[in-house]
Amino acid sequence: MMFAMRAPSPAALSRFEQLVLPQLDAAYNLARWLTRNASDAEDVVQDACERALKYVGGFHGGEAKAWFLTIVRHAAYDWVGRNRPAELIDDGADALERAADTVQPTPEQAALRQASGTALFEAIAALPLGYREVLILRELEEMSYRDIARVVDIPIGTVMSRLARARALLQRSPLLVAIRERSGEA
Amino acid sequence: MNCHEAMALLPCFSDAELDALQSAEVEKHLLGCAPCSAQRDALATLRLRIRDEAPYYSAPATLHERIRATIARASQATGAAVRRPRERWRWLSAGALAGSAVTVFAWFLGSAVFDWRVANDLDTEAAANHTRATLSQRLTDVVSSDRHTVKPWLSSRLDYSPPVQDFAADGLPLVGGRLDSLAGQTIATLVYRYREHTIDVFVRPLGPGAAASPPTLTTQRGFNIAHAKGAGMEWWGVSDVSADVLLPLVARLAHGE
Repeated sequence: MMFAMRAPSPAALSRFEQLVLPQLDAAYNLARWLTRNASDAEDVVQDACERALKYVGGFHGGEAKAWFLTIVRHAAYDWVGRNRPAELIDDGADALERAADTVQPTPEQAALRQASGTALFEAIAALPLGYREVLILRELEEMSYRDIARVVDIPIGTVMSRLARARALLQRSPLLVAIRERSGEA
Repeated sequence: MNCHEAMALLPCFSDAELDALQSAEVEKHLLGCAPCSAQRDALATLRLRIRDEAPYYSAPATLHERIRATIARASQATGAAVRRPRERWRWLSAGALAGSAVTVFAWFLGSAVFDWRVANDLDTEAAANHTRATLSQRLTDVVSSDRHTVKPWLSSRLDYSPPVQDFAADGLPLVGGRLDSLAGQTIATLVYRYREHTIDVFVRPLGPGAAASPPTLTTQRGFNIAHAKGAGMEWWGVSDVSADVLLPLVARLAHGE
């Protein structure tokens, strides 16, 4: 794939180094949360960088992070489409409810997960793709609604409603409720 | 604002996405409403827990290496496609040379303009000193035609000793001395008389290594100003006398004869 690529201009190369390299952490974090796998995330970011090299000449100012994360997200969705196509279809409000139901631990399991600090992590990882990405961009990347809307290509109102539902789900996730009750007793 | 409205705005409120006005209204409601502030706290707790427990995955070193390799490959392809490396160096050095030439020229131009402006400012200030002294009738602080009186009077009040000469034999008697200020510095003023005209000559020391220069004439508000450097001093003669009286006077002072 690399050799088929047309050689970028020196100006494009230096813009790429300037705009994209500082965003590698954000890119990898998003790719990692969307693919849920370290080496797949690296492949996705590599793919995104090659695309960015090609398109960087067309980037005329604005928020470089939002611009590059849009490309990363597209690369990640292409990867999910090739490897887990079911996740792309299974992305509605029902999916959200079902995601909540699948995490139904026994009190012992809840205690174990709390001890290892993985309860919330698992709950987020179990969120449908469309909710997970909005939550990660907001809570871990601390991006504004406007930039999230640009990256995910949805209206700001949809950003707000997806965030609200994702948070509500996490708050009443049986796993977390079980933990909250336990820590309340203690 | 009621609870229904406040609850709807709470997520935007805790994400700092409300404008100042709305934000203030939500805050006001929260002060008096336990259920709404409990929900606010719940959102804050969730946020803290996400940041604590959901890892932020930084790009590993292997990824940095891969991307660097991608850039290196791309720049090799670019170099081969665009220009041979040696040719690129030639253009680069030509560009650097042209750049330095432009910088040096700009520096010359800039310092020339700066010198001209400073000189212009000093002429204006010298003319103003002369006008002020003439109008206030405070022509001299020390009245004496004896340069052996004027010189010590000035040097005891300054950190330098200006050369003082009398040209009474040529119809230009020294009438006294005065202290003025020029460019924020206290300087000596020598006062000469030519018929009914008063001539002020402002004197300040030259920096070490400064070259002497013959008098040049400018005009400010009807006064002639002759400026010269010499005898370790910088001289400004200001008067309403004609240039053919003023220029030779300043030239003789700067010559130090």
